[in-house]
Amino acid sequence: MERETGVWRLVFLALPLGVFTVLVIWPLASSFYYSFTNWNGFSDNFEFVGFSNFNKLWTDKLFFNAAVNTAIWMVAAVLIPTLLGLGLALLIDSRIPGGPVFKSIFYFPICLSAVVVGQIWIWIYQPDWGLLNVAIGAVTGSSPDFAWLAKPDTALGSVIAAWAWQHTGLAMVIYLAGLTSIPEDLLEVCEIEGASTWQRLRVVIIPLLTPATVVVVALNVINSLKGFEILYIMTGGGPFNSSDTLAMHMYNESFKKYLMGYGSAISVVLFIVALTIIGIYFRELKKVDEIYG
Amino acid sequence: MARLVLDNITKSFGTVQVINGIDLAIAHREFVVFVGPSGCGKSTMLRMIAGLESVSGGRIVIGDRDVTHVAPSKREIAMVFQSYALFPHLTVAENIGFGLRLANTPKAEIDRQVGEVARTLQIEQLLERKPRHLSGGQRQRVAIGRSIIRNPKVFLFDEPLSNLDASLRVQMRLEIARLHQRLDATMVYVTHDQTEAMSLADRIVVFNAGRIEQVGTPIELYEKPANTFVAGFIGAPSMNFIEARIDSSGGAPIARFGPASIPLADAERRFQPGGVTLGVRPEHILIAEGRTPDFTATVEIVEKLGAESLVYLQTGFSPDPVTMRVSPEHPVKPGDSLPLCLDQNRVHCFASDGAAI
Repeated sequence: MERETGVWRLVFLALPLGVFTVLVIWPLASSFYYSFTNWNGFSDNFEFVGFSNFNKLWTDKLFFNAAVNTAIWMVAAVLIPTLLGLGLALLIDSRIPGGPVFKSIFYFPICLSAVVVGQIWIWIYQPDWGLLNVAIGAVTGSSPDFAWLAKPDTALGSVIAAWAWQHTGLAMVIYLAGLTSIPEDLLEVCEIEGASTWQRLRVVIIPLLTPATVVVVALNVINSLKGFEILYIMTGGGPFNSSDTLAMHMYNESFKKYLMGYGSAISVVLFIVALTIIGIYFRELKKVDEIYG
Repeated sequence: MARLVLDNITKSFGTVQVINGIDLAIAHREFVVFVGPSGCGKSTMLRMIAGLESVSGGRIVIGDRDVTHVAPSKREIAMVFQSYALFPHLTVAENIGFGLRLANTPKAEIDRQVGEVARTLQIEQLLERKPRHLSGGQRQRVAIGRSIIRNPKVFLFDEPLSNLDASLRVQMRLEIARLHQRLDATMVYVTHDQTEAMSLADRIVVFNAGRIEQVGTPIELYEKPANTFVAGFIGAPSMNFIEARIDSSGGAPIARFGPASIPLADAERRFQPGGVTLGVRPEHILIAEGRTPDFTATVEIVEKLGAESLVYLQTGFSPDPVTMRVSPEHPVKPGDSLPLCLDQNRVHCFASDGAAI
């Protein structure tokens, strides 16, 4: 009987495991494999080059530029939607008029694909007739024609703003769910103890939102690691590599320069970074679970 | 002096009135228990005293101060919740000293006061733990500690023992009684458990459908219930109710039910001929040994509780089983036919509207 159950388990698991192997395990293993070769992506003739692709990373200025940009991108892409989402959730939870309508409006961008979001913001940043310059002009009385995406100083920040616009809604919805799960009597204790609004927020609400924060941060980290499309659409990593991230650099090395081996080495580094972050996440998740159950 | 006065308190949610003109004066250091079935308004009343619920009409006075529209934190009250309401991210010490921390009290002073409260409640060894690592009883002690440290004039308890198991409930009940003896404070305690009410209260307030049915000491309520609701609610197992008719044709009033009849000899009570409800506590139904029985009944179930046995009886005159107490040594068993009589001096009579006669 037990043996039969085991067989059925294998039968039902076979399809998802097969798909997972073909779409995840196999490409992952291939990346590791090719990172030790000089494969160009097409030719059958390639050689094992040991760690030379990884050694090259240390001397590749563009790799370091991309690593710094990735760090900036990740910190901003995690912090900004998280903080804005928390702020909006607190505002809507305070039962401001029209709260449910605002909730839907703020959530809407997450339903759009990154390509659509990228295109919308390209129009917003358009130097001559883009909404941003028009709005600045309306306020200052001038006629600015600043090319937000064409200047190295503002390109990455501009893409981060578009990213935050798309992802704030998701954080807001998760925080709203977190706020509704805070037991009413804990807030009543605050009332009886005479906590001010700020004390209530700092000492009670924000700590009690830790489980929601863990989810929001995890989603934002995972999404930001995968955040390739919007950068590709809006700047392509430019100008002058100013918005080049590791994912973008890997793409350029692999598919534009046909250095698939070197690109694979970059992807392995990115994988290790992601694995480390996920490891930290699970460790923190365990701590949160111990406190909040 | 922390007397508490509720003056014609009403509360409505929309068009639904849930509290209908409550008048009550609670003396300084008195332990008053609000008791009643779910939805009777007792917790709403407590929350109005705390200031967590607004009052639709009437006045709440604590000490000599009208606090009807005063913020909860300024009422000099402390509240212990059914769910304990402990902050999961704070340690026991931080939970107890929560109010002091909000008031920017120096840390050394917080530590001193928390230590003192912890000693009182015997939870010193738990101070660094988080609530998740405490048992239900320990959590409730911490919640009580947080209220003690406020040094309030009035303690409010909202079903604080409901989440505890039976033995722990008895233990905590005792501790709350001790606390009341030790602290110079008025206590208002809400429960739906009448045993808890009887064992803790100086006075019990019985709520039903947003009104007070009766206020009195536990013994008053047990021995002189004002109506069938109070009679049925106070006492476990609850009072037996028997439909009867008053017959005064022979002079002295007699209550007739089924084949039985008992004289109602209380001179203070004025009986009108017609239907009444007799109320008999289980301990006032006696086995007629050497006496003429008032009626006989068949034993349906026997519950052996150790100190006593509860016997559920089938009678010809009551659709519901009649409950009686017997000594645990009594050899009664299901199917036995018992000759029974009522302790005639302890039989309660209620008119058709439920009011005691």
